[in-house]
Amino acid sequence: EWPVLVSVVCSPPQNYPLYIRSVPTENELKFHYTVHTSLDVVDEKISAMGKALVDQRELYLGLLYPTEDYKVYGYVTNSKVKFVMVVDSSNTALRDNEIRSMFRKLHNSYTDIMCNPFYNPGDRIHSR
Amino acid sequence: MSVPDYMQCAEDHQTLLVVVQPIGIVPEESFFRIYKRISAVSQVNVRDSQRVLYIRYRHHYPPENNEWGDFQTHRKVVGLITITDCSSAKDWPQTFEKFHLQKEMYGSTLYDSRLFVFGLQGEIAEQPRTDVAFYPSYDDCETVEKRIEDFIESLFIVLESKRLDRATDKSGDKIPLLCVPFEKKDFVGLDTDSRHYKKRCQGRMRKHVGDLCLQAGMLQDSLVHYHMAVELLRSVNDFLWLGAALEGLCSASVIYHYPGGTGGKVGSRRAQGGSFSAEAGNRHRPGALTSNGINADTSAEIGRAKNCLSPEDIIDKYKEAISYYGKYKNAGVIELEACVKAVRVLAIQKRSMEASEFLQNAVYINLRQLSEEEKIQRYSILSELYERIGFHRKSAFFKRIAAMQCAAPSIPEPGWRACYKLLLETLPGYSLSLDPKDFSKGTHRGWAAVQMRLLHELVYASRRMGNPALCVRHLSFLLQTMLDFLSDQEKKDVTQSLESYTAKCPGTMEFITLPDGLKLPPVPFTKLPIVRSVKLLNLPTSLRPHKMKSLLGQNVSTKSPFIYSPIIAHSRGEERNKKIDFQWVQGDVCEVQLMVYNPMPFELRVENMGLLTTGVEFESLPAALSLPAESGLYPVTLVGVPQTTGQITVNGYHTSVFGVFSDCLLDNLPGVKTNGCTVEVIPALPRLQISTSLPRSAHILQPSSGDEISTNVSVQLYNGETQQLIIKLENIGTEPLEKLEVTAKTVNTKEKLYGDFLSWKLEDTLSQFPLKPGKIATFTVNIKVKLDFSCQENLLQDLSDDGISVSGLPLSSPFRQVVKPRVETKPINPQESSKVGDFSHVKTLEAILNFKYSGGPGHVEGYYRNLSLGLHVEVEPSVFFTRVSTLPATSTRQCHLLLDVFNSTEHELTISARNNEDLILHAGECQRMAIQVDKFNFESFPESPTDGTQFANAKQLEEERQQAKGLEINSKLDICWKIPSLKREGEASVEGVLNQLVLEHLQLAPLQWDILVDGKLCDCDIVVDCKVGDPIPLEVKLTNWSKHSVGPFALTVTPYQDYQNGVHNYELQDAITFVGSNTFYIDSVKPTKDSVYFGALLFLYTGDFYLNIKFHEDNCSRELPLSWFCLPSVHIRAMEPMVQTKL
Repeated sequence: EWPVLVSVVCSPPQNYPLYIRSVPTENELKFHYTVHTSLDVVDEKISAMGKALVDQRELYLGLLYPTEDYKVYGYVTNSKVKFVMVVDSSNTALRDNEIRSMFRKLHNSYTDIMCNPFYNPGDRIHSR
Repeated sequence: MSVPDYMQCAEDHQTLLVVVQPIGIVPEESFFRIYKRISAVSQVNVRDSQRVLYIRYRHHYPPENNEWGDFQTHRKVVGLITITDCSSAKDWPQTFEKFHLQKEMYGSTLYDSRLFVFGLQGEIAEQPRTDVAFYPSYDDCETVEKRIEDFIESLFIVLESKRLDRATDKSGDKIPLLCVPFEKKDFVGLDTDSRHYKKRCQGRMRKHVGDLCLQAGMLQDSLVHYHMAVELLRSVNDFLWLGAALEGLCSASVIYHYPGGTGGKVGSRRAQGGSFSAEAGNRHRPGALTSNGINADTSAEIGRAKNCLSPEDIIDKYKEAISYYGKYKNAGVIELEACVKAVRVLAIQKRSMEASEFLQNAVYINLRQLSEEEKIQRYSILSELYERIGFHRKSAFFKRIAAMQCAAPSIPEPGWRACYKLLLETLPGYSLSLDPKDFSKGTHRGWAAVQMRLLHELVYASRRMGNPALCVRHLSFLLQTMLDFLSDQEKKDVTQSLESYTAKCPGTMEFITLPDGLKLPPVPFTKLPIVRSVKLLNLPTSLRPHKMKSLLGQNVSTKSPFIYSPIIAHSRGEERNKKIDFQWVQGDVCEVQLMVYNPMPFELRVENMGLLTTGVEFESLPAALSLPAESGLYPVTLVGVPQTTGQITVNGYHTSVFGVFSDCLLDNLPGVKTNGCTVEVIPALPRLQISTSLPRSAHILQPSSGDEISTNVSVQLYNGETQQLIIKLENIGTEPLEKLEVTAKTVNTKEKLYGDFLSWKLEDTLSQFPLKPGKIATFTVNIKVKLDFSCQENLLQDLSDDGISVSGLPLSSPFRQVVKPRVETKPINPQESSKVGDFSHVKTLEAILNFKYSGGPGHVEGYYRNLSLGLHVEVEPSVFFTRVSTLPATSTRQCHLLLDVFNSTEHELTISARNNEDLILHAGECQRMAIQVDKFNFESFPESPTDGTQFANAKQLEEERQQAKGLEINSKLDICWKIPSLKREGEASVEGVLNQLVLEHLQLAPLQWDILVDGKLCDCDIVVDCKVGDPIPLEVKLTNWSKHSVGPFALTVTPYQDYQNGVHNYELQDAITFVGSNTFYIDSVKPTKDSVYFGALLFLYTGDFYLNIKFHEDNCSRELPLSWFCLPSVHIRAMEPMVQTKL
């Protein structure tokens, strides 16, 4: 039982959330702010590695920044779709590798959604 | 040290702190005017040296911060300038006393001070003093700058002396321990002679000298001193001062690397100073530095810059310094300021990630309990720093927190204005603009959840500010742009609060200008309701204007010289502007249909919904509507009346929803379908309303041409009946009705119709014109139905023939043809009655009466209106002619027409013909009637011109001829029927009944044979009397009316006697002799010519004789129809000659 928030954000210039899910649903807006502000770091990291070759690029951005209670991790696809995950910082079970594999799974799911012919790119994603 | 200066930057380490303060009562405005002039003197080039002094002015400086002056000398107040207002000499001593008091506040650190006195004149002002300057007024003080420069120079002298004093300290001398306020008690009782202590003293002093060198403009020296200090202090683990030394090193390096400054605006202001740029050139070798702080020519730098830190090292050292500061709780402000300084440097270096780490650290530095104002300041500066490193979202986040802090509940007087202002500044960080147009197209921009929150806060702040208009505008914006993201409950809440606000201050379409010049564009509710399509509707068919044909031609020619041009047809005008091919009429109600839907989960009340138009004065008639919750597409018709003529363009619509007035322009609506928005308004036309004497019909006529029928009337008539239709024409418009044209069109033409179906006299109606508005005219139409009276189905049993053959041959016995109308009743067999039912089926006739009318200015322009009246006539059969035949009459010029008349009505019916008595027919009864008619001479009708014409044509012509014949026959017959019980009467026509054979019989032969006996014309029943014994001249005259010459013929006259019992006695050689030949030879007779042949008969006995004139059967006569040789029979009565008694 640890709070996790997962968010998928569209590519610029819109940068609006395609999918947001937080495990404790109360006080969700706080996580919205956390994720929203973390996009600054994501943008910065993307622009910093802009010169690196695309295929060499690591999609996983690592820890974006720690806050008192949470850790914010980022991941960005080659098409600049961003994944952000906020986890409880007290949870030591989640190491970098776990986070990385979670992002991979998330990326795979996202790819599956994109493959759905009934999905319009840019629409909000609904999960059952 | 408790008050952090968030504006600090690394360059501030080289500045001298001068406090400028007012004493006594100085108008704030005047003080700041002088303060501004003073602070303009921020750099002074010291005389006789290349060095530059930088001054930092403050008008407020907490004395406890001054206590940290030994730690970092730029924190020390070294100069004091006081400004005072002194109007009379009497106040002077008091003022001067105050100046001294003020000096004492910073006394321990001050190098020098100045007093500027304004307003004092006279004796005191004249005495020259170095520390006091007198000015007559705030406007008359040109020498302020000069005075300040002098003052700074004096500061420099003190600084330089201190520097030299400290720098040249011999190691043997006892070096005092410099310490920060909170350290003082820690050193009590410490061994002052230990090596450790001495090193500490040395290190701190080195650091201090470094600070002084930096302030005195000796950058290289300061670097050396700082390096030494770092060495010394590191060895004794004096972390606080080690941090300070490191920071000093960083500051000096930053100053070296970034002459433009790191403070942002402050730096740029410095760069603007003309003197500075010159100095910059002196201090640094040209080309040594570029704007991004990277040395272009490193080799040349090595010598001088070996003590200087590289840009990367600066950050490392800053980190180190901050980590040392972090060990001391009391040095929180120092740490915080160091962080801020480092961030500014990193911002210049464009290393945002590291900068954000510093800032993150700064956020967690816990100072003592901050006041609300300090919190606001802190958050604002964090926001600014984040902004500087390009973290706009983070910046907006902190700015928003600052804004919230302005109105925190703990504050007794919340600063809603400040809160609102700060909130507005966060908008870009949330990719939010307050222009709804930015959100009208494409996908939503930005993070809706946080945007919504911000908008809610804006609404709340503006409400608390006491600006309801602003509040309504923000709330409208929220509703308009975030509609897709609001939950149902939120939609309800937002609209409820919006309604409560608009009750006080309705939303408008005006721009709202904020005090700081920001303009808030109006927010039209284009989504409440959502409009999917806009369609301009044509006028109802009866009101549609039509262009008169002749004028139309002219119109086309004026538009283009081409009859057709593909270029015009495919001109790519904007879809919205495409013109519609119908017109609206001035003064008539015109309609626009909108398909709308309500996206709200509750009933939406739209009030005052009307059209926005341009081009023509348009009286919009607003509508109010109520859309059910989440309705599907819902048609709404907006109406209006154009008041003038010309091109009208429908630009959009206006609504009032939840008390907010919106003007929604179609151009700004995405995904709206239109059929064009521009339509022509033509001048006014009259309006005609028609009412008839007949009942309205349920039958709706659907004419193929697409015209609509405004009124339908129906009537039931018996075949052959005539009825009057009285139409009332009322002008219900405002223009006089000047012109009226009536045309009729029969729709259902399956039935063969004889005679004129509809006939009228327009003149009677037109005499009442022009028809003024409100006036009524009448118009009468005669409806006459005359369908086929024949019974081609032959469903009815024929009347049994009496054996009279209908042949063309003249019958030998004229007496057998005694013609009395045969009244032969033949009731229909019961089993055949069902057939009657079939037979009497009702036929319908439909016609459309078109009224083309015009008047008023529209008539001048060549427009008219068309009103259609549908007429539905049910024709019930009246009588039928089930069979027709002819019987030759006694006269060759006459004939009997036999008609079997059937009464198919359910009433008793009388039928009459010309010269005939009435015949009464019971329902379903069939009777034969015979009508004696003169044969017809049809030759007057057009003949087929020649044999060479086409067959189809000939056939057509033949038909036409037959019709014409029928018509003529019918007109002679004049058959009428009457149903006395219903008091209805009508005509019956035989036109459809007549067949070729009958027609032939009714036709007068073209060869006219006249036989004269004894000079008397013999025909039919005429009996010629003659005397026995006298020769009687017989004259046969042939007149040829045909078009060809006929003949020659041979005729033989055979006399006979009829015994009236079927026996003819031809053996009369004894009784009659011919004088001459009994055979006549007739030569060929040319058309229209005649020839006469004479013979004579001699009767030897008395008696009744007949003469049978027969043709010889030779070839020529075969070619002609037999009926042409229909010679009248001659009846001669020979009598005894009168015995003349001659006495």
